[in-house]
Amino acid sequence: MSQDKEAILDQLNSIFQDTFTEDNYSFSINTTRDDIEEWDSLSHIRLLTAIEANFGVQFDLDEIGNMIDVSTIVDLLHAKLA
Amino acid sequence: MHDLPWLLAPSDDFNERCIQLGRHQTPVAEVHALAKYALSINQANRLYQAIGKLTAETRSLLSRSLTPFRLGIVSNATMDLMIPSIVISAIRNGIDIEVVSTDFGQVAQEAFDAGSKLNTARLDAVLIALDYHAYPFLADQLSTSGEVLPSDKAFDYLKQIRDSFKQSGGMICIAQTLAEPPYEFGGNFDAQLDGLLRKSLTEFNRALVDDIRSSVDVLFDVAALVNMVGACQWFDERQWYLSRVPMANVFVPLYAEYLTKLVAALRGKSKKCLVLDLDNTLWGGVVGDDGLEGIQIGQGNPVGESFLAIQQWAKTLKDLGVILTVCSKNDENIALEVFRKHSGMLLKENDFAVFVANWEDKATNIRFIAETLNIGLDAMVFVDDNPAEREIVRTMLPELTVPELPKDSSQFLRILCAGRFFEKIDFTEDDAQRNAQYLSNARRQEIQKTAATLEDYLASLEMYISFSPFNELGRKRIVQLINKTNQFNLTTRRYTETDVLQFENDQQYVTLQIELQDKFGDNGMISVVICKVHQDRWDIDTWLMSCRVIKRRVEEAVCDQLVALARKSGISKLRGFYRPTEKNGLVKEHYRQLGFDCICSDESEDIWDLAVEHYQMKNPPITVRKSSVIQ
Repeated sequence: MSQDKEAILDQLNSIFQDTFTEDNYSFSINTTRDDIEEWDSLSHIRLLTAIEANFGVQFDLDEIGNMIDVSTIVDLLHAKLA
Repeated sequence: MHDLPWLLAPSDDFNERCIQLGRHQTPVAEVHALAKYALSINQANRLYQAIGKLTAETRSLLSRSLTPFRLGIVSNATMDLMIPSIVISAIRNGIDIEVVSTDFGQVAQEAFDAGSKLNTARLDAVLIALDYHAYPFLADQLSTSGEVLPSDKAFDYLKQIRDSFKQSGGMICIAQTLAEPPYEFGGNFDAQLDGLLRKSLTEFNRALVDDIRSSVDVLFDVAALVNMVGACQWFDERQWYLSRVPMANVFVPLYAEYLTKLVAALRGKSKKCLVLDLDNTLWGGVVGDDGLEGIQIGQGNPVGESFLAIQQWAKTLKDLGVILTVCSKNDENIALEVFRKHSGMLLKENDFAVFVANWEDKATNIRFIAETLNIGLDAMVFVDDNPAEREIVRTMLPELTVPELPKDSSQFLRILCAGRFFEKIDFTEDDAQRNAQYLSNARRQEIQKTAATLEDYLASLEMYISFSPFNELGRKRIVQLINKTNQFNLTTRRYTETDVLQFENDQQYVTLQIELQDKFGDNGMISVVICKVHQDRWDIDTWLMSCRVIKRRVEEAVCDQLVALARKSGISKLRGFYRPTEKNGLVKEHYRQLGFDCICSDESEDIWDLAVEHYQMKNPPITVRKSSVIQ
């Protein structure tokens, strides 16, 4: 993984800690929606809001539905921030 | 404004404090402290979860520190996301809210089915959270002339829903105005042509506002909120298309805050008094250093105009019934000279009920102001430009509201306004006269110093009292008193306008509204009594009195009147109840002082009986005038 992506992953980690308060889960590039029980459609909106505010980006309508795992989110952010 | 800038930003260890909440020594105080911060959705959610994990005992202690409110919600959108923010905002505003939510799109079903979840939930109010998507405004735009206008159609639909909740569920409705999305078709003509979205929304909102003003329902002016923040910011189409969330998520905390402020106002928790600093708050500069000519206030000077705008705001608040006071570190004479001599000043000395300028610490002075006016610190807002003063006062007086302000005085006003401390749900004759009354009170206190005895003082007041049963004329003020009186309130039962109307018409209840005049002016309605009729006994369900007139033996005059009425109706016994709250310790011995006997006492209630035939009339020095109860 590139340095840029490592930095993004690092920030995402703290956003995930902020968003999902319930479960014990280990966060990594491989984390998916299946790993976090609390990651449902409602908390997905909170996650989205936090990521957009934190990185100063806006996701497209069709991108939001695809953000079901950490690696996709990292890729999307990497492309947007480039 | 989405980040609630009048509140402090959360401390860096906010997450950790939420995690440690269960182990905190005073978890209730800690919840109050954490809820006071400007919290994002995620932070509100974290605190909400942490409260959920507290022991039942701690949660019950928390509830007891707040005023309960049961709120139903119907919506054409997804509201579940907002519940943690609504609950936390409610705590911030002194309310223990219980939200009964329904699936989205169930508005008509909930309203029109008398056996529906909300209609049977015994709610205090229902929020009808509809936005423009809930009505066929867009589809109906090209309907041919002669048909019913989309705005009328939508208004009638909402009216039916409101009426149905009132009739079937016995609750008041909180109805929303409609914000206008950033869509248009013919540009400037959209406001002019019947049927087009912009004109429809304008007319719908106008009709709703007019109708609500003369009903028991309450307006949640979402259109004004969106006007403040901007429609392009508020509406997020992605959220709507994906999840039916009616606004951009970042605005959830602001929506929740304004909703719960409205609920708090229904429970009489709006602020009553504005405490103002002077130097760099009401004018630019420091009068003690810069001199009368050196300060900046008034037209023709940019900084002076920014402070003039704040004075204009305060003046209007005063006209709406907010009590103005001053708390400043200054020599009194130097401070007063500005009000007397500076031509740029809009506010004058007599706009303030209490004026404190000295060198003592501000917390002590603000406590003195509260005592002089006989109101709680939780009913006061302290505005000071100095962050250090704000910090000290906040620490010393945690119940006091102390808004954050930026460095730039031109930004003060919008933040003070956005803080919505003085939410009103009504405007009564008493509001219009409040400041005059408090000024008279200050003069009364002067007399108190010179009168030899309390009896002489009371006699010198030349008080006149009048009693009448509840009626339409007094209804709004009765509801206001019932919902905001905390100290002289024996049972602290809160009732809506609908309830009060029922007491008015029900033979099973005896009601009294009490007005008091004295030589300084008309105090207006100051006391309310509601008795439930049992065979030969009246149970005093509610007895409350405005703190403006305590220690004047008014309650004795009221008791004399009650006994006289009871005797006339062949009633042999009056039964009184004292239900303790954090605020009403003042009246713990109320019934004993009137000659009632305590027949039962436990943690939640003391019960007192009075055999009417043995009562000694108290005959305080108050003349009864035109009572329409006993002819």
